[in-house]
Amino acid sequence: MQLDGPATERQVRPAAEAERTFPLIKIILLGLTTAIAIWAAFPLIGHKAWTGLAILAATTAGLLYLYLTPRHIPAKYLAPGTILLIAFQIFPVLYTASTAFTNFGDGHRGSKTEAVVAIQTASVTQVPGSRQYALTVATKADAATGPLVFLITDPATRQVRAGDANGLTGIEATVTSAGRVTAAEGYTILTAGQAGLRSQEITALAVPTDGGAIRSSGLSRAYEGKAGRAYDESCDCIRDTTTGRTWQADESIGAFVAADGERLAQGWKVTVGLGNFSRVLTDPAVSGPFLRTLAWNFAFALGSTGGTFVLGLLCAIALHSKRVRGRTLYRVLLILPYAMPSFAMLLVWRDMFNTDFGLINNLFGTDVDWFGGSASARFAVILVQLWLGYPYMFLVATGALQAIPGELTEASRIDGAGAWAAFRRITLPLLMVALTPLLISSFAFNFNNFNAIYLTTEGAPFPADNPANGATDLLITYTYRLAFGGAGAQYGFAAAISIFIFLIVAVVSAISFRRTRRQEEVYS
Amino acid sequence: MRLRAVGVAAAMTCAFLVTGCGGSDKTDVKGEPAAASELVIWADDKRSDALKPFADKFGAENGVTVKVQAISKDQQTTFVTASQQGSGPDVMVGAHDWIGNLVQNGAIDPVQLSADQTGGLAANALKAVTFNGQTYGVPYALENLALIRNTDLAPKAPSTIEEARKLCVQVGQNGDAYHLYPLYSSAGGYLFGTTADGDYDPKDLGVGKPESVAAFKKIATLGEKGSGALKRSITLENSIATFTSKKCAYLISGPWAITDVKKAGIKYDISPVPGFAGGKPAQPFLGVQTFYVASKGKNKALAQEFVTNYVTTPELAVALYQAEPRPPALTAAFDQVKGADPDLQKFIDAGKNGIPLPAIPEMAAIWDPFGKAEAAVVGGADPAKTIESAGKTIQAAIK
Amino acid sequence: MKWVKQVGWRHVVAILMLIFAMVPIVFVVSAAFNPLGTLSSSQLIPAGASFGNFSRLLGDTAFGSWFLNSVVIAATASAASVLLSALAAYAFSRRRFRGRRVGLLSLLLIQMFPQFLAIVAIFLMFSTVTGLWPAIGFNTWWGLILLYLGGALGVNTWLMKGFFDTVPRELDESATIDGASHPRVFFKILLPLVAPILAVTGLLAFIGTINEFLIANVFLTDTGAKTLSIGLWGLVAGERDANFGMFCAGTLLTAIPTVLVFQLLQRYITDGLTAGAVKG
Repeated sequence: MQLDGPATERQVRPAAEAERTFPLIKIILLGLTTAIAIWAAFPLIGHKAWTGLAILAATTAGLLYLYLTPRHIPAKYLAPGTILLIAFQIFPVLYTASTAFTNFGDGHRGSKTEAVVAIQTASVTQVPGSRQYALTVATKADAATGPLVFLITDPATRQVRAGDANGLTGIEATVTSAGRVTAAEGYTILTAGQAGLRSQEITALAVPTDGGAIRSSGLSRAYEGKAGRAYDESCDCIRDTTTGRTWQADESIGAFVAADGERLAQGWKVTVGLGNFSRVLTDPAVSGPFLRTLAWNFAFALGSTGGTFVLGLLCAIALHSKRVRGRTLYRVLLILPYAMPSFAMLLVWRDMFNTDFGLINNLFGTDVDWFGGSASARFAVILVQLWLGYPYMFLVATGALQAIPGELTEASRIDGAGAWAAFRRITLPLLMVALTPLLISSFAFNFNNFNAIYLTTEGAPFPADNPANGATDLLITYTYRLAFGGAGAQYGFAAAISIFIFLIVAVVSAISFRRTRRQEEVYS
Repeated sequence: MRLRAVGVAAAMTCAFLVTGCGGSDKTDVKGEPAAASELVIWADDKRSDALKPFADKFGAENGVTVKVQAISKDQQTTFVTASQQGSGPDVMVGAHDWIGNLVQNGAIDPVQLSADQTGGLAANALKAVTFNGQTYGVPYALENLALIRNTDLAPKAPSTIEEARKLCVQVGQNGDAYHLYPLYSSAGGYLFGTTADGDYDPKDLGVGKPESVAAFKKIATLGEKGSGALKRSITLENSIATFTSKKCAYLISGPWAITDVKKAGIKYDISPVPGFAGGKPAQPFLGVQTFYVASKGKNKALAQEFVTNYVTTPELAVALYQAEPRPPALTAAFDQVKGADPDLQKFIDAGKNGIPLPAIPEMAAIWDPFGKAEAAVVGGADPAKTIESAGKTIQAAIK
Repeated sequence: MKWVKQVGWRHVVAILMLIFAMVPIVFVVSAAFNPLGTLSSSQLIPAGASFGNFSRLLGDTAFGSWFLNSVVIAATASAASVLLSALAAYAFSRRRFRGRRVGLLSLLLIQMFPQFLAIVAIFLMFSTVTGLWPAIGFNTWWGLILLYLGGALGVNTWLMKGFFDTVPRELDESATIDGASHPRVFFKILLPLVAPILAVTGLLAFIGTINEFLIANVFLTDTGAKTLSIGLWGLVAGERDANFGMFCAGTLLTAIPTVLVFQLLQRYITDGLTAGAVKG
């Protein structure tokens, strides 16, 4: 395939060298991958996590195959990023989306077993009239493994008794003034460090007594406690041990409910089917302002993206000439808004728009209630986005302008076209090839730009008769308020709304993306 | 070529493993003491700094490792989420009004205090951490609003809120229910009724009731269309600065404001928040900073030991006071520091009428709509219509 | 007159934009040097000038370790992200395979899911990871970097793909005919040609990482492990407005690494090697 001739001769030598280095690098990387996989496998085996081990083995084998076979070239380039993408983006998204079918949220975060444990623990109270004891944790055998014994000292009589799961027996022991046992025949006293290692056993140990059970309160005190509520498997309910009142488990809502409708606060996570989705569609608080919010959301995303693009491009073009003196300085200063942490600057902008004390009213001598009126608040948040976002477009456009061969524009200038015409006919279309995908992604980002609203207006102004939906609310801030502003976090509901928003953005992006096909093919 | 590549790759693997295992052996050795008794405490940035020396001392005395970690943002949600997945701390430090939500998520355990220990705590602090008849944590500091005045501009404490000319109350763009509450209660409004046992009753919502309408009508007289004491332009960020720059003679704020006021060299005095002329006394909310024992902590026994037997000693309470001047909840610690800092007693006096911030989970539904109703009324909206729709929104969220 | 038309207008545009850009920054600078350290929001010129806020920031907080953590994490994550992104962009631009356009669109749409919901999933995953492999678990640089790299294929891939599209295909085709393998075409021919965009995406990724705080907040809880953005957030969140001056001082210092990276990359961004591309 090689052509003869001195010109190619010169090129072939380094090429051949490169052809030898690439396989070597590849082998090193593959070796490294395998080594990491083996390193990662040990803990999985140790924890008997066979599914995890299978995934790890399959991924590693897949990678080794992929890079050792000459086929599947695109996959070779996509695999590293895609694996990370699946692990750290797709998995969380799918997990989140799956919660849309559950009642997952505050009060319904864990399993039923966890709820029962929480209810019982919360109901343990000190037996009326009982004492608090000084506690010393001990064992008859090895400090690290021997069965635990509670040595409890009655503060009044200073009598010491030893207690385990079978009950209490009196023993002889040496006691400090505070009641702590320092030595007892046949027992090893655990230090705090040793006891700390066996924390779970200590918390779990309950020494049965007539009135209830002696439990630890930390490592140095014990009390006689009694669980006021207990789970009864036969009726699948929680029963109050003193009053006899019961709360029946209701699997459809994930809570224990009494006959009169009273619910215990500690519930559990259950599947609620399409309940969250139908709530989005039927709840007037959600669906009522939805269209209005959606319209503003589009306006905001388009305004921010378009505005930053125009400003950024303008700056890039203005500085795209070696004849501009000090353009390095200009560039550094123009990039500064992007270099400052954006959340900090959003907070600063919010203060600058303050009616009485804000810099803006002060500078212009005006008295505008910026966040008080819909139009001014919307203008203000878009202005802030322009400030925050134009350096991004400026950077990208600067890079893109470099990529456009100067010959092309020069050629058109020679043809007699004016600067503006040359820009419009040659530069802009070329720029758009590189930048259209970026504009779409920037639109998508701004469509869901939570911080832009949450850290400035928080959705203000709100109509007096509806504190749930404000004039500058985006769908995402609105979702956030619905899901987290009410009685606790409702992740399931929030996920359901997010899926709706996701579908809207997906459709819009897909349509605009179709239009890029033509541009793309121009160059391929 | 392919086979040889496989061979070389295998050799490389072995080489990496040999070096890798050498490294991992070392980390295992290091990992050993970390697996030993370890207590993890979460707090916000400010408090974690103050806690560190004491945590280290506790660790040294008991032969355990104590880690104090700071959560900078969304402490409560982060704590609940992390706990649920088993990555939470053993001890959490936070405000007492989290209790309702933490309990419904099974995130904290009740603590069993001895009679001596409960006797040593301020009664209202103890009441604040009591929920459904259980004590859910050990309080260490109190905070409540008071009226701070610049004695150069206003030598005498006003007896009514109308008398306080050039008053600044933080409102912000979307209202501030916490700072509004003393005025709202003085004007006759309430948030939740109470049950026979004195607990808050979520079924009796006061927002939207005729009392709240009457209260908001009075509040409107202080608004932008009225006397101008309540202005949306006075926000969380600038309220203290407007006071220290002498633009206001009076400021409704808490102990956290004092550091700045002193730094600005303002002569000041502290008195209870006055009520409306002819109204009820103004009741500020009482907030209590609390140590909680996490239910899903890995080292609960140690956590209980720390919270119930170590936090209840005056030394720690005094140190936390020095990090941040709020009145200690521990009577012994309070007595130790009150001599040097007369402001503490004044804040306590200002909180005499106070009521604990409701800790029931339903309270979460109040903040946002109630604050916005305030902002709207302050801006000149119709009080009756505004507060009634806020009531409806809250009712719908509580159900 | 010709000067005005060819160069002068450029200065006018740049100066107008500079005014817009600088006003909030001057405000931050003024607050950072304001000795009172509180927010006096109506002034551009501070009441006094002192370095008090800076010295408090450096003395009283762990600013130094925040700074180091941020720079290391951002530099590593952005460098790796550029490489991963460039690899994928090459496949999307130069190779034709099934699912190409769907894949490209999916990359974008995945980023659409609200991050505040993903926090739960991150806890779910990394609680397991921390148990199994503490070296890449919570409170480690590596864990956070890996998590950030999950987003390496995304907006930046789009950006690069757009750029690869503008490089004439004849270039790599002729190289392939000369017998160059695809890695050689990619690393030795294409990458140098798209250096400007590598620099741009590198800078964007660097800024994005250094400003990220939603995930870092839950991921890094050890005081020494925190990054600048969470540390700064803690300053304003913890103590009402009293730290505003320190916060502004921190904001200014945070901008320094970004500006340095920009300076470092500027010559690639602005003096692209594209002239050679066409001749090549």
